[in-house]
Amino acid sequence: MQASDLITVLPELILLVAACAVVLVEPFLKADKTAVLAIALTALVGSGALSLGLAGEDRTAFAGMLVLDDWAVFFKVLFAVAAALTILMSSRYLEAHGRHLGEYYALILFAVIGMDLMAASRDFIAFYVALELMAISSYILAAFFRYRVRSNESSLKYFLTGSFASAIMLYGISLVYGYAGATNFQTVGQALAGASGSGGEGVSAGVLLAVFLVAIGLAFKVSAAPFHMWTPDVYQGAPTPVAAFFSVGPKAAAFSVIIVAFIVAFPAQAREWGVFFIVLSILTMVVGNVFALVQTNVKRMLAYSSIAHAGYLLAGIGAMGWSGNSYPGHGVLIYLVAYTFMNLGAFGVLAYLKTQAPDKFDYSLKSLAGLGRRSPWAAVLLSLFLLSLAGIPGTAGFIGKFYVFGAIVQADLVWLAVIAVLMSAVAVYYYLRVIMYMLFREPEEEFAVKEPISGGMAAALALSAIATVVIGVVPSWLWDAVVSAFTTLFN
Amino acid sequence: MEFDFATQLGFRGLTILTFLPTAGAVVMLVFMRRRPSAYKATALVTTILTLILAIYLATQFQSDTAAYQFQENESWIASLGISYHLGVDGISLLLILLTTLLSVVAIAGSWNSIKDRGLAFFISLLVLETGMLGVFVSMDLFLFYVFWEIQLIPMYFIIGLWGGARRVYAAIKFFLFTFAGSVLMLVAILAVVWWYASNGGPLTFDILTLQQVGFPGATAAWAFAAFFIAFAIKVPMFPVHTWLPDAHTEAPTAGSVILAGVLLKMGVYGMIRFCIGFFPEMAVKAITPVLILSVVAVVYGAAMSLVQPDMKRLVAYSSVSHMGFVTAGLFVFNQQGIEGSILQMVSHGILTGALFMMVGFFYDRTHTRMIADYGGMAKPMPVAAAFFSLFVLGSLGLPGLSGFVGEFLILVGVFQYAQVFAVLASIGIVLGAAYLLWMYQRTMFQPANEKWLSLKDLSAREIITLVPLVGMAVWIGIYPHTFLNLLHAPAQNIMMQVQPYLAEHSNSLLRLASSLFGGF
Repeated sequence: MQASDLITVLPELILLVAACAVVLVEPFLKADKTAVLAIALTALVGSGALSLGLAGEDRTAFAGMLVLDDWAVFFKVLFAVAAALTILMSSRYLEAHGRHLGEYYALILFAVIGMDLMAASRDFIAFYVALELMAISSYILAAFFRYRVRSNESSLKYFLTGSFASAIMLYGISLVYGYAGATNFQTVGQALAGASGSGGEGVSAGVLLAVFLVAIGLAFKVSAAPFHMWTPDVYQGAPTPVAAFFSVGPKAAAFSVIIVAFIVAFPAQAREWGVFFIVLSILTMVVGNVFALVQTNVKRMLAYSSIAHAGYLLAGIGAMGWSGNSYPGHGVLIYLVAYTFMNLGAFGVLAYLKTQAPDKFDYSLKSLAGLGRRSPWAAVLLSLFLLSLAGIPGTAGFIGKFYVFGAIVQADLVWLAVIAVLMSAVAVYYYLRVIMYMLFREPEEEFAVKEPISGGMAAALALSAIATVVIGVVPSWLWDAVVSAFTTLFN
Repeated sequence: MEFDFATQLGFRGLTILTFLPTAGAVVMLVFMRRRPSAYKATALVTTILTLILAIYLATQFQSDTAAYQFQENESWIASLGISYHLGVDGISLLLILLTTLLSVVAIAGSWNSIKDRGLAFFISLLVLETGMLGVFVSMDLFLFYVFWEIQLIPMYFIIGLWGGARRVYAAIKFFLFTFAGSVLMLVAILAVVWWYASNGGPLTFDILTLQQVGFPGATAAWAFAAFFIAFAIKVPMFPVHTWLPDAHTEAPTAGSVILAGVLLKMGVYGMIRFCIGFFPEMAVKAITPVLILSVVAVVYGAAMSLVQPDMKRLVAYSSVSHMGFVTAGLFVFNQQGIEGSILQMVSHGILTGALFMMVGFFYDRTHTRMIADYGGMAKPMPVAAAFFSLFVLGSLGLPGLSGFVGEFLILVGVFQYAQVFAVLASIGIVLGAAYLLWMYQRTMFQPANEKWLSLKDLSAREIITLVPLVGMAVWIGIYPHTFLNLLHAPAQNIMMQVQPYLAEHSNSLLRLASSLFGGF
């Protein structure tokens, strides 16, 4: 290790220092935890800004394990923004539940460090360690309301399925190491291309098993069907801002690894993993959308909807493998950014309602009835985020779908695009149903919700809403960022 | 003729036209949230200004060419070859005039009937107008799709928030039907764009460029099908019309006027631009099935109207019948058929809009739409009965009013192509006379219902709302030349596009006939 290696992980070092500071400062604070919130927020903004400033760098550190390129920068900024929005949404929510503790911020920061390193890793070992850092922080966050049965159940389920997935993936990685004799993505890629016979003798079954095991492990993390069972329970049981964070952060990190690892380490098996992800995507889209149709709990509905969105993203990954072209991957990145804002926004509005009426609001459709009259701002914002999730033009969700589906069509998989658009037509039904309850129904249960929304929550929701609309109308800058991320990936 | 259509105006006429209603909506939202009279006035003034601008554009329009005019072209999303490209030809100009006129009427007509959440209602109508105008001015597929989808949202709210008893069901059904069709269209859009990009062309969503491509066999066949289904749902053609009676009936009056008046026309407009413009060969191959479906719609819609006990539902089903004429006239590909079809769209927009308006005025007073509840309305409301008679007669095709001109031209066109379809379609006209006159008789004459004797006749505001519609119906009925003049060049253009395939098609029909009848 050289001293200059530290620059590569400078954004994470900032977060690490801040996380430790949060834990150290917290005992000296009384009821008011604004100080730790400020530390965490400053660290995230600083880390995001620093990452942005490091754009254009091309560094490799720690013996090729970690890199700092535009790909890593892209995701580090995304994670910093997602975590900052989550934190802004959390403070009042935690106060309302009597669990406003400093550890919360420290755990979020640790999870972000893990996610950052996942996006920056170019080595199976480094990637695995980063993944575990993220995962363990997540398990604790899910159980943050430890006196509640559901929160404990959520954490335990997350932990068990997560460890199971890790074990499967580790087995895959060990097989990869056995075949390739290396853990570095690029070295593995070169070794396996030779081993499996790029001359056309077919692909060795053992290598394929290794590839599929790694794929399955990651499919758990992005909650692809049939490895999605944990998702609804975990999201429902976890504190709402934490569920919001789970649905965007770890998912985006896992997608980052899927793209990097499979493009760089397994290019010779692209056709095979392409098919694998296509099959997985169809299952995921169908399961996510069909199960979301019958949910009466909005938080659970959003969990199934996040499974469905993973399906659209996996369709893009599948098209990437099938066509041997990174173009669909570009769409996936755009979709991830769009999804981050709209999904955080949707969960944020729910968290706001829960904060305002912890007893009356139980996330059921019924308790949303007539919201449009009582709190028009919350209703309008939630409608915007849901319409974006549904993929209505003018919103970020449409741009994401447009890029991904366009790339799928370009990869000559028109039938897959047809399945995807039909599934998103199904999805419109359950998103519109929520809007219908909020705006068209009369309230069944009266509870006062303070408006206008104020404080951190207002800032977070406003930022998400603005980003949702801006990406929907002028996505070109995002595209440029994605292109430069992909360009550095292939250097 | 060298004429630069981009600079003929000297200002961005189409952009201003399209976004003026939204600008008005923003002003209302920001400055006059709690003042109903102020925001209503602003909404009305905004739509009137938009109408005036549309009329001004029409006066500047060169009607002797099929070229797209007032064009504006800016790069928008360069990575995908998407541009902000606007332009109009005679067809879109006529539909823009219809849209802007009906928007004024819709707002004036719902002045007092919307009591609850008025601000949101008028904002929805204005945003809807932007969406509709955007569809007609877009020269870029992406832009077209954006507007096409965006106008669903305000319409969904208009039906769902201010509609009748079954409004929620009707709103969702309307949304899902249209959305399911349009996502398939999205795939078709992507497919034609990528086909062109991977076969030597640039990556572009420009409609003019793509119209020149000439897509081959399989791609064309299923892309045509996807576009066609999306538009057929919107028109709506038999058998995908089932959302229409619910949506039209449950929507508030202004919603029904806009739905019947403009939204249905977007389907036919899309067929002209894309089904025929992109895939002329497939369009020719589809002639016979389209004619059969159209004639079924004509007769079925009329027969369904005959048995409706609900006035609004009756008018709704009559739309299915009248739109059947429109698609039939379009797909015979001769001058009379095409021009009649487009004129019939305008005429249907005016007359059906007016009929919905009248039903709305009656409903505001009686709170029932059931024909059986009415009777003898001519006694307390003679002025209303007079207006109503005019629209009923226009709608059933009385010469001298607009309905006649369109239907006559369509029948002439269809007759030239295949007599049997013209004969069958004319059954629809006979039935049309039957259901409309019968409804008129049962509601206006017949023994007077005691309850209604004290009703007030139309107010000055209501009369002023109806007068422009009467004026248009008479104008088109007596001197259609003004409007047909705009359509000659675009109709010629459509015929030129399909000409090469039409000859082949009629040859194959002849061959089929001669093989069936043993040759001549």
